[in-house]
Amino acid sequence: MIPNSLPYRRVRVLLAFMVVIATAMLIQLIRVQFGPYAPVFATWVEAANEIDNEVVPERGLIYDRDGDLLATNVPTYYLEIEVFQLTPTSRKQIAAVLSRALILPYEDLYAQLMADWGSIGQFRIRLTRQVGVDERWPITIDQVASDMLKGFLLDPEAPDLSGLKMVPAPRREYPAGRLAGHLLGFVNQEGKGFFGLEGFYDSWLAGKPITIERGYIPPEARLEPDPPAGVNLVLTIDLDIQQMVEDILRKVLEDSSAESGQIIVMDPKTGEILALAIQPSLDPNNYEPWLETQGVEADKVSETEELVINPAVGGQFEPGSTFKVLTMAAAIDAGVVTPEDEYLDTGVIEVGGVRIRNWNGGAWGPQTMIGCMQHSLNVCLAYVASERLGAPLFYKYLEAFGIGRGTGIDVAGEVPGQLRTPRHPEWTEADLGTNAFGQGVSVTPVQLLAAVGAIANQGVMLQPHVVRAVVGPEGAYYPKPTVLGRPISAETAEVMTSMLSQSLDGETTLAHVNGYELAGKTGTAQIPTERGYDDRWTIASFVGWGPVVDPQFIVLVRIDKPESSPWGSVVAAPVFRDVVERLVAMLEIPPDHVRDQLAAARTEEQQ
Amino acid sequence: MAKHNQVRRKLPWKSQVRITSRTIIGSLALLIVAGLYLAVNGRVARAGRDVLVLQNDRAEFQRQIAELTSTLAELTTPQHMLERALELGYQPAGMGDMLYINIDGYVAPEMFEAPLPPSSTSDHASSLSPAYTETLGEWLIRVVRPRGGGVQ
Repeated sequence: MIPNSLPYRRVRVLLAFMVVIATAMLIQLIRVQFGPYAPVFATWVEAANEIDNEVVPERGLIYDRDGDLLATNVPTYYLEIEVFQLTPTSRKQIAAVLSRALILPYEDLYAQLMADWGSIGQFRIRLTRQVGVDERWPITIDQVASDMLKGFLLDPEAPDLSGLKMVPAPRREYPAGRLAGHLLGFVNQEGKGFFGLEGFYDSWLAGKPITIERGYIPPEARLEPDPPAGVNLVLTIDLDIQQMVEDILRKVLEDSSAESGQIIVMDPKTGEILALAIQPSLDPNNYEPWLETQGVEADKVSETEELVINPAVGGQFEPGSTFKVLTMAAAIDAGVVTPEDEYLDTGVIEVGGVRIRNWNGGAWGPQTMIGCMQHSLNVCLAYVASERLGAPLFYKYLEAFGIGRGTGIDVAGEVPGQLRTPRHPEWTEADLGTNAFGQGVSVTPVQLLAAVGAIANQGVMLQPHVVRAVVGPEGAYYPKPTVLGRPISAETAEVMTSMLSQSLDGETTLAHVNGYELAGKTGTAQIPTERGYDDRWTIASFVGWGPVVDPQFIVLVRIDKPESSPWGSVVAAPVFRDVVERLVAMLEIPPDHVRDQLAAARTEEQQ
Repeated sequence: MAKHNQVRRKLPWKSQVRITSRTIIGSLALLIVAGLYLAVNGRVARAGRDVLVLQNDRAEFQRQIAELTSTLAELTTPQHMLERALELGYQPAGMGDMLYINIDGYVAPEMFEAPLPPSSTSDHASSLSPAYTETLGEWLIRVVRPRGGGVQ
């Protein structure tokens, strides 16, 4: 029996008080565990405890050959809402502030904030905006908007934005805008690279995400490990040359009212692409409109990647007369003709039952092989291929030049072109005659450039490439030039260069650059359709290189469907000249007479 | 025995003092342990908070660097530089304006070398000292058996 004295009464009161406290705590524990707010507490616990979290490394940067930044990552933020932190005031004020700052419809934002997300088990949502009829994309804001909202969140006098969170989401940015857009490709909202370099090197640029256990309460904090970062790429592209070439291409398209065009500049000794311009251009910072022009919905880009063409590597065309360079090189290398051999051009030749005529339908009389190239005679080249070379030798050389096979350039979306050889069931004798002057055979601009590049590089055909260095955490890797083959001998290449230099003098003066001896060939190709060749539109082209004594560059110009004139000699040749006039200054190439003087001075010094 | 009971009844404060003193000693011991535990946990929490703050700072600095790098790149694009040059009264040089001059000793610019991307750090390399993570029990074991592993 407990005595009923004063001290014992106090003890009983104290015990009773402690029991009340303990009971209250027990009730609260049950409420937390099973009450209506149990999911909220569970979310907090999940957030507070260590949970698996994927850390995505920063995507690798892309530089031009001089270190100008072409692709970088800038901070943007997703807007997220902690649903149970919202208040009636904050719902209205978040919608009002975002509506005014981001110029978005207030009703749409408010509806998202008023939805009963808790009933479907969502306690944190990402605000979205309408982009199509049935499509919504997450809202992203830049650093400036983020700083403004952070200021509001910290200021008690500012609008109540309780529940609003900003979650960092790096976005790919291309500081040079449209410059080299097709070459670079783009990165979508999920961080996946498409087209161009972003597509080709996607896995290297993206790095490897890692999963870490992340603690959010201070005692559980750890120094977070960094995932293996994506590699940085240094391109062979010179941004100044790229800008110059794109400006020239844009102007010629305006002047000639052409539909599209490409200019590619390559170093024939290394295969390095110095500039690759494509019009109409692609703005990788704002790629959705471009995808629409290609008939691809932005969210379905991954499913239809093959439908979207990078014209430089995927836009195959019948090259026309520029292809005659390869036919003549094959004939000279095989020893079946020499530049001085004569041919009596009657204006027509029958090959495989098909009558082939010259571009103007005329007969040019006796011509040397140089004359055949100078006047771009279809009949003469068909004769060379069919009666001097023969099909087996002709196609052997074309295959050696890589026709009908991809070059392996490090840009996504390359196609191999089309070449029907005698092994093909649909090949006919007539193909031999038409292929000789670039009809019935399809190539890509890069493929043609690589093939003709062999003539500019002493018979050695190099693989075109656009990445000069791959820089990873352990160091830099410099890919060496890859030799694709030696389709012709160095002597043949020299003869061809001399021949094309002479023929260019006679073919067009519009490609001349004062002080520099250049070699090249114009092309005017008909466009095949389902009902034969289009009688209105052409593809005007030019491929040329220089200086002939020591080639430093090879340039390919392709202008699709020019209205001002159909001829390559009129439309494309002046473009080549404009490019080369700037190029020799940018590459610091001395004029021929200065080069000769320097060489003479060096010889004197050595003596 | 009967004598003892008689003494207790006569002097009840003696047993009360004994109980009180034992309770106080026990409470003091508990308070010391709890205080020690709180002090250690307070330090751990403060260090953890510092880590979180530093990580946030680092992330913020990285974002600022990225923003500034991008801005700098935009300001130095060929198009932007051309516009600035035109504003300053310069004109693009044509073929007739240019003269090739050979300068003895001129060396072409060196090839650009891109910066290395950040290397990966493993969990092991970035783990905190056990002083910030161990429990009181673990600490006691470590103190009693110092060879079991020291504080980093």
